[in-house]
Amino acid sequence: MALAPLDGAITLDQLSSDPYPIYRRLRAESPVLRVASTGRTLLTKAALTKAVKDNPELFSSDDPQTPMKPAFRAHTLMRKDGREHFVERKAISKALTPTRIKTDWGPLYERLAEDYIARLPRGETVDLFTDLCGPLAARILAHILGIPEASDEQMMRWSQLLIDGAGNFGWKPEPFAASDAANDEMDALFAELEPIRRVEPDGSAYSLMLTADDPIPMSQIHANIKIAIGGGINEPRDALATILYGLLTNPDQLAEVRAQEAWDKAFEEGIRWVAPIQASSRLVTEDTELGGFDIPKGDTVMTIQASANRDEELFEDGESFFVFRDKNPHQAFGNGPHHCAGAHVARRTVGKIILPMLFDRFPNMSLPNPEEVVWKGFGFRGPINLPVVLN
Amino acid sequence: MIRVTYVAHDGAETVIEAEEGTSVMQAAVSNDVDGIVGECGGSMMCATCHCYVDEAWEAKTGQRSDDEDEMLEGAASEVTGRSRLSCQIKLDPSLDGLVVHLPEEQL
Ligand code: HEM
Ligand code: HEM
Ligand code: FES
Repeated sequence: MALAPLDGAITLDQLSSDPYPIYRRLRAESPVLRVASTGRTLLTKAALTKAVKDNPELFSSDDPQTPMKPAFRAHTLMRKDGREHFVERKAISKALTPTRIKTDWGPLYERLAEDYIARLPRGETVDLFTDLCGPLAARILAHILGIPEASDEQMMRWSQLLIDGAGNFGWKPEPFAASDAANDEMDALFAELEPIRRVEPDGSAYSLMLTADDPIPMSQIHANIKIAIGGGINEPRDALATILYGLLTNPDQLAEVRAQEAWDKAFEEGIRWVAPIQASSRLVTEDTELGGFDIPKGDTVMTIQASANRDEELFEDGESFFVFRDKNPHQAFGNGPHHCAGAHVARRTVGKIILPMLFDRFPNMSLPNPEEVVWKGFGFRGPINLPVVLN
Repeated sequence: MIRVTYVAHDGAETVIEAEEGTSVMQAAVSNDVDGIVGECGGSMMCATCHCYVDEAWEAKTGQRSDDEDEMLEGAASEVTGRSRLSCQIKLDPSLDGLVVHLPEEQL
């Protein structure tokens, strides 16, 4: 067998500004492709991306060379496999279960959402992306994690610096210096809060990890919280902005979603249509093959869930936002052992609380100039602005 | 082939045949049975494959493991003594005719 073909034409700029026409072509012509500008082998069909994520022995998350390590100053659960991963994952997932969200956190989220939505001015053009989606996602997460003393601004800044550091594949010094400073701030806050969360358990992730019968090491507790800060703000923020764009540019569907209260379906369709995390990497541990090509040990494959989510084999007219699909087996939350630990939290807060509340408060919300909305991102993607008129 | 019956929350029954060695979750997903999501592909990470084993089959399907027990805390619907993660039940000939009941919601 042969190695997958090598592409030298596709640029990172193209992938960041509008990857979807490229992915559509690759699904048809070249679903396993080495793309020189990314340094990775891109997989664009749903069957391939799922097969890779469901097989952690062959396609490992444990990448010793990851810039995530300096960025988080720790080897985090996202980059571990097997038993080690399972133990750390269990420690945090207890704070993120549907039962916990319904009984302990639901009323708080509703209040937080209400509070943030109430601050928005009526009758004016506001940027929901900066004025609502980001700060609200940050505030909710601060509570779940057990660090509500952190401000929205801190949460959003830390998150971005962690992400920038983790994506610093060029190993430049500045992003690591910035993530180091953020780590110092976080570590200091966590240390200050530790005695309180220990003595007054409150069901938050921090508190549960500190008071567990067989706690994981303190360094890993910190690392886990940081992973959730890095992964729990931008994605719900981008998801919310994407769904709002989808609904506001498809008024018929919005009317039907309202009539049926199908907000959960709108949530699933939004993250299918434009997956907030578009791509994930896995290290190949043994020589293998994918889609008829040799994949050598040591290669890094990139599963493009953004493309899997529009795969013609699973979705009819996947390029369009259409809430009322029969089935929606999207991969926006990933697959396999690293399947998103925050999926329940995201589904419930965005889908069941924030969306219905926004449209209830602002029944005539509109997006007068959808062409002004700018979409961006290769690894992470969403609109970077959302100028709506509220009334 | 091994027969499995899935009883939906509203009582609707789906009967499928699956190969030995597949899990009750995989069998449901590959036959498009509604009510089992199986989002993590059977790695015990999502609890969206929750089912209740029919009383008559409890002895044959065996006990849930400690890890499974902990992950079940993440299930969206009520967890009972007969709750299992269906990705952790592997089909073998002794389970031919198995009946499982599906919860109201998985997400
Ligand atoms: C719509 C919102 C969200 C989307 C689309 C999303 C997507 C994802 C994806 C695709 C992965 C897997 C990455 C991989 O396979 O390498 C992941 C992992 C993860 N997510 Fe999310 N996420 C969202 C919200 C959240 C929230 C709110 C939290 C925290 C409360 C969170 C915490 C995590 C954690 C801790 C992991 C790592 C899991 C592991 O490695 O075991 N996510 N997420
Ligand atoms: C400086 C840090 C904090 C900020 C900025 C903050 C912010 C908020 C906001 C904006 C609300 C909604 C209030 C409303 O409009 O009704 C709220 C409610 C709440 N917060 Fe915090 N919070 C902080 C600290 C804490 C701490 C330390 C805890 C406990 C661990 C906590 C637990 C709660 C609870 C349980 C509610 C719901 C209140 C209720 O139901 O009466 N918060 N918080
Ligand atoms: S399929 Fe995810 S726990 Fe069973």
